[in-house]
Amino acid sequence: MSKAKNRAALAGSYLFVGIMAIFTVYPILYTIVGSFKTNGELTRGEHFFPEIWHFENFVQAFIQADFIKYTGNSFVVSLAVLAVAVFTASLAGYVFARKEFVGKKLWLVMHTGLMFIALGSVTLYPIYELLAKMNLNKSIVGLILALVGGQSTNVLLTMGFVKSIPKELDESATIDGCTIYGIFFQIILPLIKPILAVVALFSFRHAWNDYITTLIMSISLPKLRTLTVAVVQLKYSVNAAAEWHIMLAGATIAIVPILIVYAFCHKLFIGGLTAGAVKG
Amino acid sequence: MIYDNLRTYSLLLPNLILFLAFSAYPVIWTLKYVFYRYGGYGSSVPKFVGLENILRVFRDDIYWKAVKNTFVYAGAKILFIIPLAFLLALFLNRPAKGNGLLQGIIFVPTIMSAAVMGLVFYLLFNVYNGQINQYLLHMGIVTRPVNWLGKEHAMQTLIITAVWGGVGNYMVYFIAGLQQISEEALESARIDGANRIQTMWYITIPMLGPILKIILMLSITSAFSDMSSIMVLTEGGPTNETMVMVSFSRCLPAVPLHRSMVMVRQSVLSLQ
Repeated sequence: MSKAKNRAALAGSYLFVGIMAIFTVYPILYTIVGSFKTNGELTRGEHFFPEIWHFENFVQAFIQADFIKYTGNSFVVSLAVLAVAVFTASLAGYVFARKEFVGKKLWLVMHTGLMFIALGSVTLYPIYELLAKMNLNKSIVGLILALVGGQSTNVLLTMGFVKSIPKELDESATIDGCTIYGIFFQIILPLIKPILAVVALFSFRHAWNDYITTLIMSISLPKLRTLTVAVVQLKYSVNAAAEWHIMLAGATIAIVPILIVYAFCHKLFIGGLTAGAVKG
Repeated sequence: MIYDNLRTYSLLLPNLILFLAFSAYPVIWTLKYVFYRYGGYGSSVPKFVGLENILRVFRDDIYWKAVKNTFVYAGAKILFIIPLAFLLALFLNRPAKGNGLLQGIIFVPTIMSAAVMGLVFYLLFNVYNGQINQYLLHMGIVTRPVNWLGKEHAMQTLIITAVWGGVGNYMVYFIAGLQQISEEALESARIDGANRIQTMWYITIPMLGPILKIILMLSITSAFSDMSSIMVLTEGGPTNETMVMVSFSRCLPAVPLHRSMVMVRQSVLSLQ
């Protein structure tokens, strides 16, 4: 009896996993396949695949809806956020792990606390005001800095990783006359590459996918919009009802790059997630 | 020594500036304006009003609706996601062919923009033109199109979207937890004659304790602060049916800012 029961349990588990996989993939496939349909097909048809594959939807999205510019913005902003995040988080993570300095405890507590408290978008008002005072509210620099933010999660991740590197390495370098800069760039930096890859990946994803911060920061200068914001704004355009195909083409343009990144680094995505959780 | 200290601080400086400007300052600003009247961006000097803002919020029906909605949303999201994620982890943690790929697939929503997918779900759940209603009508499951974004179903639609976006994330946490359980403990339970359900109940679940705590904490905080998808999908409507505390705080023009600020404060307090 137990064999039959086992087989039934196994079949049941695969059925469950299969349903969950379909549930997961369906909206993504709908987006990508739908981006090749006409608006009429989308709003009326129950056919999953288009009758004719309309590649011109993408031409229309890129040219009429100006997605060439927004794609460029997305790449510039996301890569810049990645660079600033990796640079600042690696430096701070190293110092937090290795040095004692005044105010360290308080600052660590604040970093940890702010990681879990989501004040939500209300903090965008003071940030916007601050950037406006510095005349950065109408520049891409302001948007990038707002997206980089306080870096709490990244600093703590890097700090945890640096702590796992034997201290003797820096000590012997100090004896050899290395300054703190030398130790960081020549010894620590090469060793913490794995965690920096995680920081880079997560920062890129955050900047690429962010909606609210980018929306607010680009209010005074809509040409700074990234793909995510531009796509969602299509919902509010005057003839939104007639533009489902453009919305889906835009959504496809917005999700395909991150899907490609995921296809190449899915181990890093999943590993990075648990690296933070299991240690923390 | 002094030079050493200076060098230490010089490395901290970039993060210190970012932290003060984008983490510390906004929090202090928010806490201050709980007690001040805020005229809007670039307006005159703020005026101290004491507890007036808080009292006004407490008298506001929409606020209490938002509180209720937040708890309904967060509660339902967690109630669905955690068992589903646990079962997926249990099944996909086995070293069988294809399980790695399935893990990868179920994790995909985690990397996608909640806002963009919110738009896609908005199209999918559309009353007359959405594909979901088309399928349901076609298969004869419903006779009239379901108003997924209407008053009755909007919250359910949001919860479906939230489950879609979150289940892979927690599956990965559960898998990490399962992999920390030693094979010997499971083996010895099996030798003692425990069946699969007993091993799960007495060995696996208790040993998942530490990671379960992390999962609960993360799922609660994220459920309370979700808003991208809610904003795009329903914008808090219809008639505030899906207004949650965080989305209330986005100060849609109709909502005075100081009021919404207190709401945020409330949502923070409720987390602590």
